[in-house]
Amino acid sequence: MSTRTASRPIGDIMIETDRSLPVLDLALPMPGFPAHRQFVLVRLNDEGLLYAFTSIDDPELRFLVAPPEPFFPDYAPEIENEVFAALNTKDPDRLLVMVIITAGVNETTANLLAPIIVDRDSHRAIQVILNGTNMPVRAVMNRAF
Amino acid sequence: MLVLTRRAGESVMIGDDIVITVLEARGDVIRLGIQAPRDIQVHREEVWRELQAANREAASPTEDAVRAVTKMLDPAPND
Repeated sequence: MSTRTASRPIGDIMIETDRSLPVLDLALPMPGFPAHRQFVLVRLNDEGLLYAFTSIDDPELRFLVAPPEPFFPDYAPEIENEVFAALNTKDPDRLLVMVIITAGVNETTANLLAPIIVDRDSHRAIQVILNGTNMPVRAVMNRAF
Repeated sequence: MLVLTRRAGESVMIGDDIVITVLEARGDVIRLGIQAPRDIQVHREEVWRELQAANREAASPTEDAVRAVTKMLDPAPND
């Protein structure tokens, strides 16, 4: 049995690499990236505020993701039954919500419309589109704490 | 493009297990009901395209951008 680790160091930003990161299987590919089905979450910040959602198939492909709570305290996406089914789970307490960050020159935004939901038990993940919520795709992100 | 005429209540099948039903047609607004297997994503086209664009924009940020975000997350230095 082999363990997978992030194959690319992230320079001096990398604070710590877990050597046995679980491989997360996407239940459905992310829009725009149909060929990438397996990812790992690499922690980039020792407070756990920033991770790199990194493709196993192509470690050059990674997304910055963050737990929304510290940045958007009122953000509480409602997870529909179809999502639980796709993740093969029933327990909302085992779900991890991550928002995708777009790092711009002048501002950093987070995609609140389509978070990535990870089930900690099945190691399945999915990017969910929160239809009918009017959540922004680009919400400006600040450290407000 | 295949063009079919359907009335309210009538359906179209795509493959074996996708059924699209015209529920109501009122003026230029058509309400559709879509039955599809769980592994088929169904979204409004403009929402899906916006998300595709947002994902592509977010993908693989430069080291400088990652550094900028990391810095933003750092606790403010104590004076």
